[in-house]
Amino acid sequence: MTVTDPALGDARETAAPGVATRILRSPSLRLIVRRLLAAIPIIIGVSLLTFIVLSLIPGNAAQLLLGPEATPEQVEAMTRQMGLDQPPVQRYLDWLGGALTGDLGTSLVSQQPVTSELGVRLGVTGELVGLAFLMSLGFAIPVALLAAYRPNRLFDRVSMLVSITGLAVANYVIALLLVLVFAVQFTFFPAIGYVPLSQGLGENLRSMLLPAVSIAFPLFCFYTRFLRGDLVDQLQGEDYITTARAKGIGPWQVLLRHAFRNSSFGLLTVVGLNLGTLIGATVIIEQIFALPGIGQLMLQAINTRDFVVVQACVVVFAVVAVLANLVTDLLYAVLDPRIRYGNR
Amino acid sequence: MSIEEMAERTAIVADGGGQPLLEVEDLRVRFESRGRRVNAVNGLSYRLYEGRMLAIIGESGSGKSVSSRALMGLLPGSARISGSARFQGRQLLGLPDREMRRHRGADIAMVFQDPARSLNPTMRIGAQITEAVRAHGDVDKRAAYERAMELLQLVRLPAPERRFHEYPHQLSGGMRQRVMIAIALAADPKLLIADEATTALDVTTQAQIMELLLELQERLGMAIILISHDLGLAATYAHDVIVMYAGRAVEYAPASTLFAAVRMPYTEALLGAIPRLERPPHSPLPVTPGQPPDLTALPAGCPFEPRCPRAQDDCRTEAPPFTEHEPGHWWACYHPCEGSSS
Ligand SMILES: Nc1ncnc2c1ncn2[C@@H]1O[C@H](COP(=O)(O)OP(=O)(O)OP(=O)(O)O)[C@@H](O)[C@H]1O
Ligand code: SF4
Ligand SMILES: [Mg+2]
Repeated sequence: MTVTDPALGDARETAAPGVATRILRSPSLRLIVRRLLAAIPIIIGVSLLTFIVLSLIPGNAAQLLLGPEATPEQVEAMTRQMGLDQPPVQRYLDWLGGALTGDLGTSLVSQQPVTSELGVRLGVTGELVGLAFLMSLGFAIPVALLAAYRPNRLFDRVSMLVSITGLAVANYVIALLLVLVFAVQFTFFPAIGYVPLSQGLGENLRSMLLPAVSIAFPLFCFYTRFLRGDLVDQLQGEDYITTARAKGIGPWQVLLRHAFRNSSFGLLTVVGLNLGTLIGATVIIEQIFALPGIGQLMLQAINTRDFVVVQACVVVFAVVAVLANLVTDLLYAVLDPRIRYGNR
Repeated sequence: MSIEEMAERTAIVADGGGQPLLEVEDLRVRFESRGRRVNAVNGLSYRLYEGRMLAIIGESGSGKSVSSRALMGLLPGSARISGSARFQGRQLLGLPDREMRRHRGADIAMVFQDPARSLNPTMRIGAQITEAVRAHGDVDKRAAYERAMELLQLVRLPAPERRFHEYPHQLSGGMRQRVMIAIALAADPKLLIADEATTALDVTTQAQIMELLLELQERLGMAIILISHDLGLAATYAHDVIVMYAGRAVEYAPASTLFAAVRMPYTEALLGAIPRLERPPHSPLPVTPGQPPDLTALPAGCPFEPRCPRAQDDCRTEAPPFTEHEPGHWWACYHPCEGSSS
């Protein structure tokens, strides 16, 4: 054979340009910019939709604030004071102008600036979401790996049974069960209420654990089932697994270095798709456990027809969801060599 | 004639002498799932001597891959394996996975058909090779790197230092197959099984990979089992040829003997299916009419009978035995071809 055979000439060249051009040309950077630009109309659309829906809901904040005894004159004065007498288009544009400069308005009820109120509550919700996220993935990955290691054996069957059951039960049912068992029956954990981090990490975690588990458990079940299934598919159906086994390496190495590596991309997609569920679950769970987070704030604001606060909460949820999806896509781009090198 | 006698004859013909490297005797593989039984391999026997190239030829589904994967313990749990396969005298079948692992890569290595799917898409080329190097023996990182470079040069991958850090999708099909061969050679196997290693490649690359395998065999003294649909490939490269049909060997001889006088009507039909140079590339091959038998319910008679132009009544009653009819030339047929070269 000759060294200069033509078939070797079709090697795909990977150019090595300077660092600056590489960063500017980086698919990741372009992805970020493109996605951030695309997020703007989404968030404006969400806020507009919320605004329209809220305008259609019967009930008036001024009336609710003043109580049933208030005279029509009082209510009208209050309405004017709150700016609710302006035409809706005017009100929306005013709100949007403020929002773009970081001012989400003043609460109709408490007369406090919404932005600072949200700041405090974002911490609580953030902690809850973060804990639930870590717990769901942190348990799902080892359980799925152990199940896939010996498919259809005892561990696999038990974990699949648990996760199928868990998927059938809503998170608020789990929350109530957890409260019943761990808070009421055994009083390991406080049933409700929030202890801020400033009063010690231990106490803070104790107050957060049951709510976080309530959110994490269904997700854990879902991720476990998905990952276990994908791992088994890889192990049984993929040629590169046979190659790995034919090398003479051990089964754990095949599972971790080969199958899991490839399954992790599918898992990442599923986790990304479920971020909405994860964030949405906080609304009910914060309510059940009386956690002063954004979800709770939003429900309260709906009850008092405090449209400014509702609007702000919805926008925050939308922004977080968009950012979370962006992070997922970026991770994908960073982790998967096929995307990283912009091939195909 | 017994397998011992058969081996003696082939030993003489094969000029191998001494103990065979691999001795397969009455290998049977059955898959059982949900009440369905697939008899994929039905009593396959052969011997392979050091430094030889044995071609296993047959249509899709004839049991070529299953019979060779059985040797390495790479079949799924639904496979029921019986018979015997001794490698340098040691029984391979029925070994627990932990012990089988010592043979994989180090004694027997395998290169697969589709290099695009046989490499891990998420791992760098280098890591996939060093993993194979380090699977056997206590090799530190540095030494594994050196060895990987050596292997990449051995398989003539251009720019090995750069390719070491690349991913499979950055390589062409031919280059990927070279990497697969490098992985297979990592632990100095004595037997390399190339399971349709060139089928997925274009004609030029196919020839290059075959030349590479031949050269490596000469340099490293390995035995090679070449699995293919293509009798032409066997005629060009192999020392010995087994033709398989429905999980059985139906003709077996040194390549020169076989192609001088094909006896088995099935082999004859396969020869008719060899692509000729004058045929435009990628035009459909003339296939043997008919389908291979249903492996869940094999007929009592000759399995090739429904498709055989030479079939007679006696072919239906009992399957013809696989016997050595001429020195070194085995076949299973009651009414063999006259032996005129094709
Ligand atoms: N895991 C399995 N479960 C059930 N049947 C199987 C399994 N693997 C292979 N078979 C069957 O065994 C038979 C032999 O398959 P094998 O892969 O050995 O064929 P082959 O000769 O290599 O064909 P090809 O040229 O298509 O690779 C086929 O009928 C196939 O369907
Ligand atoms: S035994 Fe009969 S049917 Fe079978 S190959 Fe020979 S001639 Fe054909
Ligand atoms: Mg095959």
